[in-house]
Amino acid sequence: MDEIVAEYIRRTVLKIPRDEIKTMLQTWGFLSERQLQTLNFHQTKDNVSQDVAQLCEDNSVDIKQAAVLDIIYNHIYPNKRIWSVYQMNKTGEEMDFFDLTDFKKKFKRRLQSALKNVTINFREYEDNAIWIRIAWGTPYKKPNQYKTSYVVYHSQTPYVFISASVLRSTLPLLCQALVVASNYHDIREMELRSHCLNSLKDIVFKRYSQTFQTYCPRPLQERNVAPESVDLRIIQENRNEKERIQRVNREVFGDGPQPKLEFAQYKLETMFKSNPKMDVLDIKEPFRCLVKFSSPHLLESLKSLAPAGLADAPLSPLLTCIPQKARNYFKIRERKGIFPGSFVSP
Amino acid sequence: DPQKTAFLLRKQWTLYSVTPLYKFSSANLKEYARLLGAFIAAEKQKGFAVEVGVDLDIRVTFSSLPDLRGSDQDHAAMHVQLSSRSVSSKNSEEKLMWSGWFCCVSGDDLSENIPEDFTCLPLFLANGAESYAAIVGSWFQKTFDCRFRRLAISPLNLTWMAAMWTGCKVEKNASATELVFSVPCLPQPLDISYAIHPEDAKALWDTVQKTPGEITQEEVDLFMDCLYSHFHRHFKIHLSATKLVKVSTAIASAHCDGIIKFLQSKYLIGVLMLLTELAISQIQ
Repeated sequence: MDEIVAEYIRRTVLKIPRDEIKTMLQTWGFLSERQLQTLNFHQTKDNVSQDVAQLCEDNSVDIKQAAVLDIIYNHIYPNKRIWSVYQMNKTGEEMDFFDLTDFKKKFKRRLQSALKNVTINFREYEDNAIWIRIAWGTPYKKPNQYKTSYVVYHSQTPYVFISASVLRSTLPLLCQALVVASNYHDIREMELRSHCLNSLKDIVFKRYSQTFQTYCPRPLQERNVAPESVDLRIIQENRNEKERIQRVNREVFGDGPQPKLEFAQYKLETMFKSNPKMDVLDIKEPFRCLVKFSSPHLLESLKSLAPAGLADAPLSPLLTCIPQKARNYFKIRERKGIFPGSFVSP
Repeated sequence: DPQKTAFLLRKQWTLYSVTPLYKFSSANLKEYARLLGAFIAAEKQKGFAVEVGVDLDIRVTFSSLPDLRGSDQDHAAMHVQLSSRSVSSKNSEEKLMWSGWFCCVSGDDLSENIPEDFTCLPLFLANGAESYAAIVGSWFQKTFDCRFRRLAISPLNLTWMAAMWTGCKVEKNASATELVFSVPCLPQPLDISYAIHPEDAKALWDTVQKTPGEITQEEVDLFMDCLYSHFHRHFKIHLSATKLVKVSTAIASAHCDGIIKFLQSKYLIGVLMLLTELAISQIQ
């Protein structure tokens, strides 16, 4: 058993950038400062991880203690995992007083009554975030420490961020345990996924700079812009249009940095409408498409499309509504009736 | 014969154009295999082919694929395979490491006009480590005085493939017609995948294409414009201003860097014919 735990620690340490290993071990606190002094952190990571694992094994580390190191690592590097957002609902307006001990007890009890072999760890952070690490086993097998799910719950909100492991079958049980433990009624998955946990939080907690979309065109604002060139013979032909695009872009996206998402997906089931000039397809069935946008920083990328001349300004609300609607997966159907050519997103 | 060509399907092939081979003869395939084998062994001594461990024995096979051609005017396709066997362990199996084949499908444009001693096999497809393609390529270049060049596929040609392949009849549960666009020059690069249900894409193409058995540039342009305008209606983005980098259908998929995947043996010759044409125009 000890070697298994030690190996797990060795692999966890291997993931940590070499310069951060000492600090993370200090935060972990399992090894004393004196023991940490005995380690040479200037070796190759391979050797450092071996030494740490050996030292931990000599000090009889158990799996729950090892799991804490894993939580610390994932808390500092959450972007290595992909996170989905869930929202819990309760009937009635009462704000129950949140009792952490009660939550933890109920959560554990619910999980363990259904599945004996689980490792559960909790860790609280200053921003009211409760991190939960669950390693899943089966009725016959011990928990697999390499197949873990992470839950981040901000107790003052109905939102839960879940990074499920490959074992998606455990999700219903996990959701159930959360609902029971937090005294909510039910939980639903939002259509919002990303690697960047903080951006997901920014979106659902509305911490990014929001815009209020208006339909009244505002007059051009005076800005302190240095004249582009001194030579008066050079005129920017479409300067007005460029400024309009910048202004509209700012209105639609806001001035602040965008939350970081890597993709957006649209399942389109709208009608194909041909330009009257093009004598084509005029079918009563929807034109079924699946569109995926991906980028290291999707919203910033979309924001730069109109100024680059690749899109109209304002950009389509299907794209600009992503932070406000807190979703990046959409199913778009044709809105029937009064306004042809407008879309609904169910 | 689908069995013989099964090895071609569902693999990623990197494309090259090859200028005509001087004094090549299919009667000498065994000799060529021997010579190429010796060449590779020599290169290994010099320190090339770093993929292979020192104690791997490489065996070269040349074989002919007579079915892979458009007409009798075309030279039969030729397959070169590199397989490896561990030198130390006696009973180890031979593993296929690298595979490449030359072919010509309806290459009359080129083969009609070349002198006697030249063999016309303008299309080369390789699967496996790049270092082997380089070694095999350089042996062919030295031996037959030819030249290999990576075959890039322009966005224009990709749109032709999209239109043509979408028009092919496929069974139920066929995969979507997918176009992948790239916008690299933004502060944050953007990739857009636009996949259309194969039945709906085919229905659109069928209304655009007027003359059976013939496809015109106008029809391809109209098809693409329809797709672009449907996209613009929803997202206000001008796809036509971005770079089309990959086209994927149930028949085959093609990437602008010159990478192809054949997905159905029924249409294999048709796709090879198109690729031969691209190779020939790159040569000329």
